[in-house]
Amino acid sequence: MKLSPISVPYRGLQKGASLLLMLVFVASAGVGPIGGGFVVAIGGIVILSVSIGYELLYYRRFEYVLTEDTLDIRSGVLSRREREIPYRRIQNVDVRRNLVQRALGIAAVNVETAGGSSTEAVIQYVTVAAADSLQTDVRRRKRRSRGSSERDSASEPIESATELFSIEPSELALVGVLSFDPRVPGAVLALLSGSIPFVSPVLLPGDVSGVVLAIGVFVIGVAIISLSWIVGVVSAVVNFWGFRLTRTRDELQYERGLLQRYSGTIPFDKVQTVTIEDNPLKRRFGYATLVVETAGYAPGQGGGRGSEAAVPLASIDRVNRLAHELESFGEPAFTSPPSRVRTRYLIRYLIAIGVLSAIGGAIAWYVGTAFPWYLPVVAAVLTPIAAHYKWIHRGYWLGEDHLVTRNGFWTRERKVVPYYRIQTVIDSRTIFQRRWNIATVIADTAGSLSVMGADAAAVDIDDSYAPDLRAELSDRLQASLVEHRATIDRELGFEWVDETEGSDPSDDDAAPSLSETEPIDPPTDSSPVDTSDRASSLDRASSPDRSDEKSDDEQSSDR
Amino acid sequence: MKTLHPRIRLVWIARSLLAAVIVGAAGGAGSLYLDLPIEYPIAIAVVIFVVGTVHSILRYRKWRYVIREDSLYLERGVLTEVRTVVPLVRIQHVDSRRSAVERVLGLASTVVYTAGSRGADVRIPGLEPDTASDLRERLKRLAIEAEGEDAV
Repeated sequence: MKLSPISVPYRGLQKGASLLLMLVFVASAGVGPIGGGFVVAIGGIVILSVSIGYELLYYRRFEYVLTEDTLDIRSGVLSRREREIPYRRIQNVDVRRNLVQRALGIAAVNVETAGGSSTEAVIQYVTVAAADSLQTDVRRRKRRSRGSSERDSASEPIESATELFSIEPSELALVGVLSFDPRVPGAVLALLSGSIPFVSPVLLPGDVSGVVLAIGVFVIGVAIISLSWIVGVVSAVVNFWGFRLTRTRDELQYERGLLQRYSGTIPFDKVQTVTIEDNPLKRRFGYATLVVETAGYAPGQGGGRGSEAAVPLASIDRVNRLAHELESFGEPAFTSPPSRVRTRYLIRYLIAIGVLSAIGGAIAWYVGTAFPWYLPVVAAVLTPIAAHYKWIHRGYWLGEDHLVTRNGFWTRERKVVPYYRIQTVIDSRTIFQRRWNIATVIADTAGSLSVMGADAAAVDIDDSYAPDLRAELSDRLQASLVEHRATIDRELGFEWVDETEGSDPSDDDAAPSLSETEPIDPPTDSSPVDTSDRASSLDRASSPDRSDEKSDDEQSSDR
Repeated sequence: MKTLHPRIRLVWIARSLLAAVIVGAAGGAGSLYLDLPIEYPIAIAVVIFVVGTVHSILRYRKWRYVIREDSLYLERGVLTEVRTVVPLVRIQHVDSRRSAVERVLGLASTVVYTAGSRGADVRIPGLEPDTASDLRERLKRLAIEAEGEDAV
């Protein structure tokens, strides 16, 4: 199948426009206004024709095919690329359209697989109908490839989807009000620091008293904060407009966005962790945020946090119910870190304030103005409260099948990690932690947000207990693996009975013959059969990001 | 518990020497250009080298690893002590590799990959080439025997 023909001019203009912008920059900086205009005009024509020509070739080369077991994509103008992505490796197929794309009736399709910070395949752009059919086809074939007992599901005319969550206008409004975009102050500061040499002569006519300077700083601070708040409101409303979450038998489907419309699916068996977040404001009004993390799914790379199935804001009850629907982890009773840790936090805050004041004092002394550098010291009054909350919010709980951790002084987050999803267990002591005989135990999962260091962690627990916790977590992982295998065996057993008795002759012949030769042969047997084959199966399973192989001549469970 | 090969200290010391030389050279060139005293960059380079050397020696003393029944266990770290448990079922693939410095000193490393995000690759440095290949083969075999699904 091909891309939509509209993608040629659209992509051409898109790529050309950024180059053009750069050209305008360079020209305006380098050449005079008249010469600059001429250069821009000629350059623009050249750039646009080259980029549209390139996109035409790209369009001709790009092709995707849905085969029996894989999604094949052939692409590339200068360097050709052929990819075969096995359906069962696909984590998510997401479709996104921005305002212009919606007007043109085209959509971008991103195919996500595990194991990578980047999207496996980007199909830009196909018609909306093609995008939707790609999404449903992949889902259907994926299910078919998962188990033959589910083969009939492909013929299911309509899947029953239950709505789990849909955002209400009042909630959307609240999301906006409670949003604060922390990237804005950074951006503003970056901009300001660049223009300080130009601004300072205007702002500082001769000598100003320190108080005026302080007031100026305060006003600028307030302006920056309100600006970031406004940006937060707008971006929240634009992002979460019409947010809906529905579930089918084994998938979570989401839809959101005002200007750019996102939609996609997350299979339940790909969910790694569930996170519930709140902050004092949200707690006060009984709201919370829910984030669902899947492996390798990193939407909007570099654009901050991004699980698409995140419920931006809902009442705590709704969030809890939803979280339990995804992972039934029960009611956690957290174990707090030892109380000496509270003292540690207090000291840490005081040191931070001391350093801040010292820097301020040094600057005041160096510049020679009476800048009120001692202002941060006022905050010292608040440190015991902050330390207390930081301490009281920390904790971990070992549930039946889940590890639940809680952290955060302002934004409190509870992370629910099924033991079965744990990848590695790490416990560490920094040089400072050792002085207090405390340690941190981290349960690493294959989640995508964790790249930013937000793993489930039992922080600052007693040193003597850390090795026990580490051992306990790895034992529980092993136990959960055994249990998981048992269920798979059971399911496979049923499947096999299903197959010999209920299979119709029109079925593909491979599966029945397999089940006749080895009746109950779960994939977990440890019989010393061909190790070489198993080795290759390990290799294959090993790199989920390497999808350039056909995989599926493997075990019956994978069919 | 196994320790690393003592020669790994030389690899790490060589690395800190390299860092010291680069910093010293850049700083020295800058000082010459700006007509500043050349002693400072030299002093900084010496400090980097000395600290790096001490760190390398301590690091070697702290490093331990062992293959247990169902996991690979590692202990390391000077300033921050880190202990990692990598369940064998979670091993995705295993590499053994040799950098240029390692080749000169006749050493090799084994790298174990998991699908995790933080401990995605666990590197065991300072092995003799044969040990590294043996370790790789052994971990591969154990991982296959452990029969893990990816759970991702």
